[in-house]
Amino acid sequence: MFEFLFKYPGAVFHRGQFVLLAPWPLWILALGILAAGGLLLWHVRRNRGLLSGARPIVIWLLETAMVALLLFMLWHPAISIATLQPRQNVVAVVVDDSRSMAIREGSQTRSAQAAAVLDGKLLAALGQKFQVRLYRFGKDAERIQKTGQLSASEPASRIGDSLQQVLAESVTLPLGAVVLLSDGADNSGGIDLDTISQIRRRQIPVHTIGFGREKVDKDVEIIDAALPGHALADSRLSALVTFRQYGYAGQKAVVSVRDGGKVLASRPVQLKGDGAPQSEPLLFNAGLAGPKTLEISIDPLAGEENRDNNSIRRLIDVETRKPRILYMEGEPRWEFKFIRRAVEDDRSLQLASILRTTQNKIYVQGNSDPHELEQGFPAKPEELFAYDGLIIGSVETSYFTQTQQDLIREFANRRGGGILFLGGRFALAEGGYLHSPLAELVPVRIPEAKDTFHRDFSNQQLTAQGRESLICRLVEDPARNAERWNQMPQLANYNDVGEAKPGAVTLMEVVPAGRRAMPLLVTENYGRGRTAVFASSGSWRWRMWQDHTDTTHATFWQQLLRYLVSDSPGKVTGSTQRAVLSDETRVTLRAEVRDKAFEPVPNAVVEAHITGPDGTPTSVEMTPLPLEQGVYTTEWNAEKPGSYVAEIVAGRGKDELGRSVVVFRREDGVAESFRTAQNRELLEKLAEQTGGRYYTASNAARLPEEISYSEAGITTRETKDLWDMPVVFLLALLLRGSEWVLRRRWGVV
Amino acid sequence: MCRRPLVRFTLMAFSVAFSVSALFPFQAAFRQFPGMEDDPVPVPADAYEKTEWAFTRLMYPSGVHASVFGEIGSWPTDYPKADRQFVQGVRRLTRIHARSSEQVVDLDSDEVFNWPWLYAVEVGHWGLTGAECAKMREYLLRGGFFMCDDFHGSGEWNVFIESIQRVFPDRPIVEIDNQDPIFHVLYDLGERIQVPGIQYWYTGRIWEKDGKTPHWRAIYDDSGRVMVAICFNQDNGDAWEWADHPRYPERYASQAYRMGINYIIYAMTH
Repeated sequence: MFEFLFKYPGAVFHRGQFVLLAPWPLWILALGILAAGGLLLWHVRRNRGLLSGARPIVIWLLETAMVALLLFMLWHPAISIATLQPRQNVVAVVVDDSRSMAIREGSQTRSAQAAAVLDGKLLAALGQKFQVRLYRFGKDAERIQKTGQLSASEPASRIGDSLQQVLAESVTLPLGAVVLLSDGADNSGGIDLDTISQIRRRQIPVHTIGFGREKVDKDVEIIDAALPGHALADSRLSALVTFRQYGYAGQKAVVSVRDGGKVLASRPVQLKGDGAPQSEPLLFNAGLAGPKTLEISIDPLAGEENRDNNSIRRLIDVETRKPRILYMEGEPRWEFKFIRRAVEDDRSLQLASILRTTQNKIYVQGNSDPHELEQGFPAKPEELFAYDGLIIGSVETSYFTQTQQDLIREFANRRGGGILFLGGRFALAEGGYLHSPLAELVPVRIPEAKDTFHRDFSNQQLTAQGRESLICRLVEDPARNAERWNQMPQLANYNDVGEAKPGAVTLMEVVPAGRRAMPLLVTENYGRGRTAVFASSGSWRWRMWQDHTDTTHATFWQQLLRYLVSDSPGKVTGSTQRAVLSDETRVTLRAEVRDKAFEPVPNAVVEAHITGPDGTPTSVEMTPLPLEQGVYTTEWNAEKPGSYVAEIVAGRGKDELGRSVVVFRREDGVAESFRTAQNRELLEKLAEQTGGRYYTASNAARLPEEISYSEAGITTRETKDLWDMPVVFLLALLLRGSEWVLRRRWGVV
Repeated sequence: MCRRPLVRFTLMAFSVAFSVSALFPFQAAFRQFPGMEDDPVPVPADAYEKTEWAFTRLMYPSGVHASVFGEIGSWPTDYPKADRQFVQGVRRLTRIHARSSEQVVDLDSDEVFNWPWLYAVEVGHWGLTGAECAKMREYLLRGGFFMCDDFHGSGEWNVFIESIQRVFPDRPIVEIDNQDPIFHVLYDLGERIQVPGIQYWYTGRIWEKDGKTPHWRAIYDDSGRVMVAICFNQDNGDAWEWADHPRYPERYASQAYRMGINYIIYAMTH
């Protein structure tokens, strides 16, 4: 119908440029229309006695529109468009041959549907006008001669890489267009901007033909599971599992985390609306040290069409290290004793402490040798930075030298350690922190006032962020957890502190009787590390006022201190951009190397010892990055699917600076089971951004005609007249006909 | 060891008042109880100050073992002078925020859980009820520390263990090793002497009854920490009480102060 009315296919209007071919300027056309309108208005006013009301205006409008149309046609409107020269251009037909194309849609697979479209008419029609090059693609594009070579067996589909390959292969050919037949299930997460820009630069339109249902009827699919890449042994971890479902809204499904078949955590969730991403946290214990491959899954539901997308794997390195925390306490007090006890119960933490028992004596506990800390609080960076975390109790700033205060700041800033400030009668405002470098570290605004320490029993409560935080999680269910905190014994004391600083997160508040709630537990990131304040020294009542078998107090402190140190980097910190190589082999390893004072080491010898799934070790030397001091990288091929452990060792001369473990996993063919519905959005966007069009199997027959209009390849520019479009005559007829009918009705013919 | 009779009614009234106050969600404040000593001391001006630590004296029943102490029992022996005089030393010699006045608690309410360091004297005359034994056990397992003192000879030992073994039927009472941190946490007390009560003035003996050998014994928890520190055949309470008296030898008072302070700091660090 469109082509009947407008004479040309829609692509002509879409891709062509509108022009007026008459030599006269446009303002004369506008002036002519205005003059004609004026004359007609004078004529209508002159005969206004014949018609009443708005009728003369209607007649005037119809006549003016008619004159304007005729004048416009005199200016010779046309479309200027580049058209591919017949038989001189190449069209690349690129067919998705990945496993997702083997999904059956009714009686045929997607691949069979694509073959039917091509063999039906498309290839023949294209062949009449162009040289056709047929490709299939999975991870890479491969030239084929006929559709019979399609097998829908490639373990992955990478549309962007394959298009780039096709473009590179045809760089010397007059490539006029690309026709892509796919379900849009790209495993690399989309088509990158570089590929799009490259196609746009060559002005090659990519026309896409989509296959597959855009929505499955009954399916639950895990989209992602976010969890840390490393953790301390026995840590409580949270996996944020994101999934979506179709056809099961309101029903229950069971989400689980497994380690080698052993269920670490499992809980039922209620499924939300169709297609809406839903995220649910799942808490579990990291268990013993060592690299682990965790399977995050949703139990299959009755009638589910695709069960292969119900689980994904994630790697986590449960570290063997036992982070060391230094606790500096300025006076004997119960909080000190009970925090020490809580940490002693934790196999993954070590606590060394200095306690000022008298004005001139200290008592050291938890030191690894008798000389450690014998001089009191460390005054050298290599001594202080040997710890991963620091607790500062009821200690006046005047106790620390200026050097020590600067070191404490650098402990978080440069070393990347965690610092916890406790409340107390010599702490925070009472300890003179406001006018010291420590004020910058404390995540709350320290008040100017004195007498801010109160030995009054007070309740505590979780904030909204506290309800979500793993630090405050005593019971897995957030609502029950908040209720559990409400039932906790009161704190023995608290410090008045100001508001949390911008960027800091308040997890708990103290609620003194008759006063407004104030921040109690606040955390924030600082430099490479993090800081926290617990503005009380009275949590020991949580221990003394609950049954001796109750572990609430120990759990809280262990979780808080693990938060403090779990991300404290070692002297060598290894990382990789992607822990899961989905149908990829190339992995980039990166290591940041620092010395004992945590200054970058530019002249280290860094090696990665990689052990693959078959247990064969390989060593790779890592080279320094020119622009980042102390950073070393290497690229390596993971030849086989499976889990890899890379131990990165850095040394200088004969000394070993440190080592770090990175785990990654190569997975082949897994991604094809996910997002199996047609990704129409991606195909449409690709077509739109490159100047092509999106088609379905049913309207793909129009493609050979429309594909001719392209700026790429060998083209001629054509000018197509518009004045003789049937729609123009129909419009003129409509205007005159309407006027005639109205005049007849109003009796002025 | 001096004592004088008290009116039973007065004691009962104070006990009831004390128990009721413990029901409320605040730490019980200082309260003066009638003492039995003939060497009274005034209530300090800052007796009501809220502090981290206070000398917490256990008010226990003596029951059938009241003996010469009469109906009031033996718990207030040396009270309150020993408590207040010892606290002066704690305040002067350490950084502990210590209250000038003592705190008296019993095991009939939960108030004891607000005071994780507890002292009892003359435990050779105590007689805890079953409920009190259970409360004491729970207190110690939660992290409380109990120091007992001033009982002598095999007879009083037997009375002591009759109650303490109902607190912990399955935990042994052992001698504290000289290397244990409790003897070194502030003062090095690897070598110790027997600390006598003031009967030493009259008798010249540093022991009482058949308790010629002093013992520093303990009951440990599962992590090797002292829960109950037992000062047997010695009288640190008298040493604290009479430290200011010219007739009481300084060497005994000095060790008693050091020992008491070590026990407090140990309780606040282990």
